[in-house]
Amino acid sequence: MAPRDVAVTINGRAYHGRVEPRKTLADFIREDCGLTGTHLGCEHGVCGACTILMDGDAVRSCLLFAVQADGAELRTVEGLADGDRLHPIQQAFWEHHGLQCGFCTPGFLMTSVAFLREHPHPTEREIREGLAGNLCRCTGYQNIVKAVAAAADMLTSTAPASDSGRRVAKKGARARRRTPEHPPRRRRRRIAR
Amino acid sequence: MKPAAFEYHAPRTIGEAVRLLAAHGDDAKVLAGGQSLVPLMNMRLARPRVIVDLNRVRGLDGLREARGVLKIGAMVRQRVAERSPLVASRCPLLRDALGCVGHPQIRNRGTIGGSVAHADPAAEIPAVLAALGGEVTVRGPKGARTIRAADLFVTYLTTAIDARELLTEVRVPVQPRGAGWSWMEIARRHGDFALAGVGVMLALRRGVIAEARIALTGVGPAPVRANAAERLLTGSRPSDAVWQDAAEAVRGAIDPDGDLHASAEYRRHVAGVLTVRALREALGRAGAPGSGGRGRPRREAA
Amino acid sequence: MKLDGTNTLPAPVQTVWETINDPDALRRCTPGLKELKPIGPDSYQATLTVGIASVKGTYAGTLKITDKRAPTHYKIVLEGTGGAGFMKGEGTVDLEAQGNETLLRWSGDIQVGGLIAGVGQRMLGGVGKMLIGQFFKCLEQQFGLPSSGGAAAGGPAAPGQPSAGSGDR
Repeated sequence: MAPRDVAVTINGRAYHGRVEPRKTLADFIREDCGLTGTHLGCEHGVCGACTILMDGDAVRSCLLFAVQADGAELRTVEGLADGDRLHPIQQAFWEHHGLQCGFCTPGFLMTSVAFLREHPHPTEREIREGLAGNLCRCTGYQNIVKAVAAAADMLTSTAPASDSGRRVAKKGARARRRTPEHPPRRRRRRIAR
Repeated sequence: MKPAAFEYHAPRTIGEAVRLLAAHGDDAKVLAGGQSLVPLMNMRLARPRVIVDLNRVRGLDGLREARGVLKIGAMVRQRVAERSPLVASRCPLLRDALGCVGHPQIRNRGTIGGSVAHADPAAEIPAVLAALGGEVTVRGPKGARTIRAADLFVTYLTTAIDARELLTEVRVPVQPRGAGWSWMEIARRHGDFALAGVGVMLALRRGVIAEARIALTGVGPAPVRANAAERLLTGSRPSDAVWQDAAEAVRGAIDPDGDLHASAEYRRHVAGVLTVRALREALGRAGAPGSGGRGRPRREAA
Repeated sequence: MKLDGTNTLPAPVQTVWETINDPDALRRCTPGLKELKPIGPDSYQATLTVGIASVKGTYAGTLKITDKRAPTHYKIVLEGTGGAGFMKGEGTVDLEAQGNETLLRWSGDIQVGGLIAGVGQRMLGGVGKMLIGQFFKCLEQQFGLPSSGGAAAGGPAAPGQPSAGSGDR
């Protein structure tokens, strides 16, 4: 089974490789492209930890062969943050404690990004159905659902920022600065492992 | 878990794909959405020597209506069909059933043709095809032929399609104007395979059932068309008693297996319950101007 | 997993008994049986490829026939391991004369473990019954053919025809 060339764009950057056809896209992303944020939970299409965006759609990268992705535009969890600025979905997961061990989180983030693009104002039930293809062993899902709902608010908020860029949330929760796409810079807390 | 080695082909035309299947026969497996095949390969439960990847083949993703028939190319993604206004207005039963197929990530890659050819005994699309009397076109070395739904699903994971044939198109009759429909299934979690699922279509004329279609999934080796229940319903006036009679006929028509997830008795019982609920919902939708579906796919958590 | 069933075979008990003790007949009706090598009296080494559609596994192991009570009863004990899992089972076969035909009652308890059992759980029972059904259907068809070695000279009797040793009805 002769190796084949694969050329993909991941998070806006070009990557090339030469792989056996049987190499899964998940393995290619992790091993050949060095992007280990995409995780392998089950490798048979059940857990969703390997979810990435391929040409905009959320897909299970463990169920694709790398050769099938030749020419595609991929987006992985590494492509969410803009430098130091977290993507609203990451911000929301952080603020609402939507992760514990973090293993399932990249999959949830990518699924949520695609989901919120299609369902900008989801109900709780819609969120739960939309995330049903991702499994979490730690959190019990409550905070994940809250985080996605909060991210939906963030992403669709059209509230103008005040002069200082601050806006106090109604229920006295921590202040959230709202901008259309990314919250302004804030120091990233190191999570001790 | 990684698949065993295989010879990989990504043909660009239907003709090329058919030639590859003719050349390799039983040694080859067609790769469509991969959502059923690749897990089996990753676990090495299936070790095809040759893979014929259809994802670069032109001409298999058409979705149109012609003369009262919805024609769906084999490689139409489940998600595309699910969101298609054409499917929603012409065959809302299919649209509703698609909402219960796996999860969004699966439906982004999974295909209509792939689901039909894979013939999982608890799959939704084969049951819809059976209920509505659809058919498929397959192309082989000797040319094209049509296989009707009633002849297509043989047993677990097995269809009447030969190893050298390629499924190219799925066709479903458009639901009659004003017909009601319902898809109901029960599963332990969202996206799990149905423990039992029922697809129903009802067309009424002057308050009497003119046409009834019922098919079930998850209750046998292949989708079950509930012919006796359909005959019972045709010509009857809708009522709870008639629904119960139909449910009784459905229960008598199936011989489900029991397994770790549900006993045979449970499946049989639930099939009847879902039939009654689906008939009620179908009646409620019947007579609406145009069959434009507004209902949500119905899936109950067990 | 407990499975059982009955089949009526168009031949007298003695003929059926001989056929189900004939390794060639067993091989003919088990297409995936790649090897059935005697390693002792009523003891065989077997390699069996079994599955449905593209989901196939090859199991290597042993098959023993015990508790023989000719011509009406025996017990099979089998076990095998393969890449997809393992299986262990025992079953009994009972023959009962019904005129010139034989009622064959079989009953078995099979344990399947490993990957195939986990992943394939919801189809295992159904597929198992189906494969065994196919085996017996094939066996039924054997009695229309002249048998190989072991069976009475002149082949098994066709239904309705008297043969030496069986009573007229």
